[in-house]
Amino acid sequence: MAGESDKPNLEREPEKPKPMARTFSCPGCGGNVVIRFPGAVLSCACEFCHVVIDVTDSNYRIIEGFFYKMKGYEPFVPLGTRAELKGKTWEVIGYMVRSDVASSYMWEEYLLFNPYYGFRWLTNNGKHWNFVTMIKDKPSETKLFSGAYVFSASLYERKFKLYYRGAAKVEFVTGEFYWKVKADSRVEMSDFVSPPYMLSCEQDKSEKVWSLSEYVSIDEIESAFKLEKPLPRPMNYAPNQPIADTKVSSQISRMLLGAFLLLLALQFWQVCYNPETVVYSDAQAYRPNDKNAPTYTTKTFELTRPVSGVKLSFRSDVDNSWLYLSGELVNDDTGETYPFGETVEYYSGYDGGEGWSEGSRTVSKFISAVPKGKYYLNIDSESGDFRTQTPQQYSLAVSQGAQVNGNFWWVLAGLLVAPVLSWIVAYSADSIRWADSDYSPYRSSES
Amino acid sequence: MIKLNCPACGAEVEFRSKASVFSVCSFCRSTLVRQDMNLEKLGEMAELQDDLTPLQIGTKGQCDNEPFELVGRLRVAYDAGAWNEWYALSGDKEYWLSEAQGFYAFCRPVENSAGITRDSIFAGKSVYVDKLGMMDIDDARDVFCLYSEGELPFKAQLGRRSFSVDLSGPHLKMATIEITDSEVRIFKGRYLEFDEFNFQNLRRIDGW
Repeated sequence: MAGESDKPNLEREPEKPKPMARTFSCPGCGGNVVIRFPGAVLSCACEFCHVVIDVTDSNYRIIEGFFYKMKGYEPFVPLGTRAELKGKTWEVIGYMVRSDVASSYMWEEYLLFNPYYGFRWLTNNGKHWNFVTMIKDKPSETKLFSGAYVFSASLYERKFKLYYRGAAKVEFVTGEFYWKVKADSRVEMSDFVSPPYMLSCEQDKSEKVWSLSEYVSIDEIESAFKLEKPLPRPMNYAPNQPIADTKVSSQISRMLLGAFLLLLALQFWQVCYNPETVVYSDAQAYRPNDKNAPTYTTKTFELTRPVSGVKLSFRSDVDNSWLYLSGELVNDDTGETYPFGETVEYYSGYDGGEGWSEGSRTVSKFISAVPKGKYYLNIDSESGDFRTQTPQQYSLAVSQGAQVNGNFWWVLAGLLVAPVLSWIVAYSADSIRWADSDYSPYRSSES
Repeated sequence: MIKLNCPACGAEVEFRSKASVFSVCSFCRSTLVRQDMNLEKLGEMAELQDDLTPLQIGTKGQCDNEPFELVGRLRVAYDAGAWNEWYALSGDKEYWLSEAQGFYAFCRPVENSAGITRDSIFAGKSVYVDKLGMMDIDDARDVFCLYSEGELPFKAQLGRRSFSVDLSGPHLKMATIEITDSEVRIFKGRYLEFDEFNFQNLRRIDGW
């Protein structure tokens, strides 16, 4: 029965109730033919022998004998079934199997009717279902060069990409139709997709009809028609099937965006309000090739921040040699130590007409999470400059508030994992979806 | 409103519009033509078989907040189908509600037919309609009157022939041109969804 939503206001009884259904004997086989909606339909196909009859003709003339006694196709949804779809009640009144002329690929179309709202179609194409509304709107077509090749269409700012183009013919019909069904009627068809919608254009010699399809899930079809046998499930993506649950993914992207903004804010705060400051700097002489060089202990200096990254920077003007500096950062109060061992090394030369260099005269060591307090450094030095004993010098600097820039980039990369993965999944699903199309954007035009 | 009596059966025949010159007596189905205050019987209207419209004479609706009421109907047919043209009044303003296969278009007469003739329809695939611009020709065909009821602004007797052209433009704009031996009439309007009319007093359809 009709739902409340599609029951328009009725205030007056009809002057004379007219019987709706009409029954007559099929001129092809004598079987009992029932027309449920005379006045709304022009032809019907006998359910027994499949001839098409002109129902506006008083003698019920056969207008198409092509399907006579043809082995039928069994519709998933029986004619006469009513279902609630898209908020309205529809009755299945006609069933048609059509095919692509070039590939003989077949699909099903169910004609739906509601006396107040007219006709709709339900299509079953590759186990995917679509609710189809004929539209009076004229989508604007984008043509390639000046030719007739239309590769996209737009309707109300929504752009649809060409998916399929071909000719369709009728393979089988049963039930009632609002036009006079002919077996040899071929139409040029184009499908343009923008999930979950599809715009289709059917054109014959006399007219061009546009329709808008909306993807309907199998669960929705099964529950709307209260089907006892479950419908076969598709293994692929339909041209206009929505790929991901966009609601969930938009929630995740909002969370990711929040995390990204937080990360940026932290980085900004760190750089602007908590910059790296040098708390101690010093220079110390050393004598190369001196096995008995004493350990150098710096003066104490103070780390003022509660917990901070500490950077030890060393510089020495070594030339084709190295200087190894090792020791520890010592907390003067607790005696806690943070060891280090860094090598300053620099080599350069002239080889085969080209100058080269390797290494660096500065080196630094990062020590993370050092609590505040008084500290000093113990430094041992060992030089690789064996040619001289002339005293050399190195300089050092201790900074607090040091940070590893890599952290920022690593967290950023971590945040990008999920969106990149989901994009890859969507991209591959979308390319699978387009694999059956001759107009796939994932294929180069040369192939 | 003009109230006259049917010359055949004596029943009261109402003309809500001064423009109406034709009526079908709702009691005896005589087709009547009005000349001023004089009613003359032309013939009789057969009953319409297989009528599956949710609309009826007396159905009220609205378009762009303008209420209207259906007062007459013309059912026209061609070799591959038929549709209804409902004559609607809003006060003394005339409108037409065209109903075909569940599509509803509401339109009003255009005063200036701008030199459109049957020959100009074939000249190209589109035609210029006053204040609407260029409109695409969707269909052009010979039609005849299959049935009429209520009051109408022309003699809509059975078999009345005309040439009907359906035009459409962007944003659901539509126009219709009707060419008879004596005149060219143009109507312009737009397609609306059934629910947008907010119809009242619809015909009851068994089982729905």
